[in-house]
Amino acid sequence: MSKTQNKESAMVSPDLSIDFAGIKLKNPVLTASGTFGYGEEFAEFVDLNKLGGVIVKGISLKPIKGNPPPRIWETPSGMLNAIGLENPGVEVFLRDKLPYLRKFDTAVIVNMFGYSLEDYVSVAERLDGVTGISGIEVNISCPNVKAGGIVFGTNLTSAFELLSAVRKATKLPIIAKLSPNVTDITAFARAAQDAGCDGLSLINTLLGMAIDVRCRRPRLANITGGLSGPAIKPVAIRMVWQAARAVSLPIIGMGGIMTGEDAVEFMLAGASAVAVGTANFIDPRATIGVLSGIEDFLREQRIPAVRELIGKVDAG
Amino acid sequence: MPSNRLHRALIVSHRPIGRGYYRLVLKAPAAATAALPGQFVMLRVSDNLDPLLARPFGVSSVPSKTSIEIVYRVAGRGTTLLTSVEAGNTLTLLGPLGTGFPLPDKGVTPVFVAGGSGFPPLHFLAQRAGSRAHLFLGARNKECLPPASIIKHFKETVSRVHIATDDGTAGVRGMSTDILNTFLSGMEKKTHLVLYACGPHAMLAAVHRIAVEHSITCYVSMEERMACGLGACMGCSIPMKANGYKRACKEGPVFDSRDIEWGEQVLLKFKR
Repeated sequence: MSKTQNKESAMVSPDLSIDFAGIKLKNPVLTASGTFGYGEEFAEFVDLNKLGGVIVKGISLKPIKGNPPPRIWETPSGMLNAIGLENPGVEVFLRDKLPYLRKFDTAVIVNMFGYSLEDYVSVAERLDGVTGISGIEVNISCPNVKAGGIVFGTNLTSAFELLSAVRKATKLPIIAKLSPNVTDITAFARAAQDAGCDGLSLINTLLGMAIDVRCRRPRLANITGGLSGPAIKPVAIRMVWQAARAVSLPIIGMGGIMTGEDAVEFMLAGASAVAVGTANFIDPRATIGVLSGIEDFLREQRIPAVRELIGKVDAG
Repeated sequence: MPSNRLHRALIVSHRPIGRGYYRLVLKAPAAATAALPGQFVMLRVSDNLDPLLARPFGVSSVPSKTSIEIVYRVAGRGTTLLTSVEAGNTLTLLGPLGTGFPLPDKGVTPVFVAGGSGFPPLHFLAQRAGSRAHLFLGARNKECLPPASIIKHFKETVSRVHIATDDGTAGVRGMSTDILNTFLSGMEKKTHLVLYACGPHAMLAAVHRIAVEHSITCYVSMEERMACGLGACMGCSIPMKANGYKRACKEGPVFDSRDIEWGEQVLLKFKR
């Protein structure tokens, strides 16, 4: 082995750890809510201990049945979904799903939502102080339910009031998952910061629609759905960049991440961590691929710690 | 941790077999050992980002200890792309997935009903448990039936093949459900029968009604669009009579027909 190779192998293990709003992440790779179930569905393919964290599928106060099928439709380099936040409710989550996740050395972030401000507060109160939960991701951006979700996420006053109420209901770090379906993402980022949130997640899906031209019917029973996958990545990168310049909150960047370089792009735009979403559907080992891609990039670029990437795009 | 359900599978053979169908044989020893009739695999038709999602295919046979067979009809962009991938290449394969058909108990006479391109899972089931079975095949016309070689296989494995076409170009003129109903009505004792059906949802709903009329247990394999195949995306939901939806990829694709909320299911399909 030559001397140079020795030097390289001396720095083969870049520091991947991230402190995200007080949540200790062993690396910046998380799973996007709704694409990784409650972890168990993927444990056959991924050692969950290797992940920075798992953001679980959204939880509400009561169980939710979800939307009628068809719920998904593939689009160029993306997919539309209108699942309708189907979930077993917070009590079943705590009883049946969380104990499994607790066995792993990874941060568990619970995505939650409600149909009313009171619902959100009740779920936040219920999760407060529960062992094994590192933080709460507050979904104010689901485009697929009539009440709740996006109604809060596209109105500044509602978003502020809701996030302020959730803030009072829990001592856990709270991360607001913002909707990209707004004209100015920075206004919502500021509202979340002013409401006392500890971090931001962006972006959720972009509201979309597809039509079967022969039947003249929408492809989804819900008519509209949320667009995800590589198709939305440039929009997500732009919004992370804008939000990162507007607020001091750390950001979980997501939207079409398939590779380590995609993740690096988000971090350069200003994200402190990333979430892999739709890629999990295409390759159940996608999170591990993204993680090793980040490590390869850091080695290739001789960057000793991943946190050095955060916000380091040179936009002149 | 490498899961034995995620493979890079070598294409052993891949060729057209008539009537718009292709036969694809993949080398996947773990999948071949584990696969049960009614289960499916997810295949990515290319490594590009478009088309993005893998496609579900019912396993149609396990031709050897190390390979699985898929028979598919060219129906859209994904399957069209798939036809161009030649033997010697590899494809990403996830599976076997889902819950298959309960195998018939001893003394049971299975009755298979296949419509459209829904025969592959029944083809596999016939090989495992079909010697006493009756198969009912239905299509608009002769050219819409399964490929001749498949029908020949069925004739070799099951006790009898009953065919109906809408225009009478093959078998009896009419629908498979008509000749099924006539067949069942002609039998005095039906307690030894179990129905297994795969095909369009409207046909499955009709088979379910016939099963109820004749008090016969009926298992149906439900098709729905899927993203992950692992129970995570919640995209492939099937409406149930009780407790909302179940996932075609996890609790299904095979369900007891009595558990399905047929009204909503069929209505939704017709509305599309």
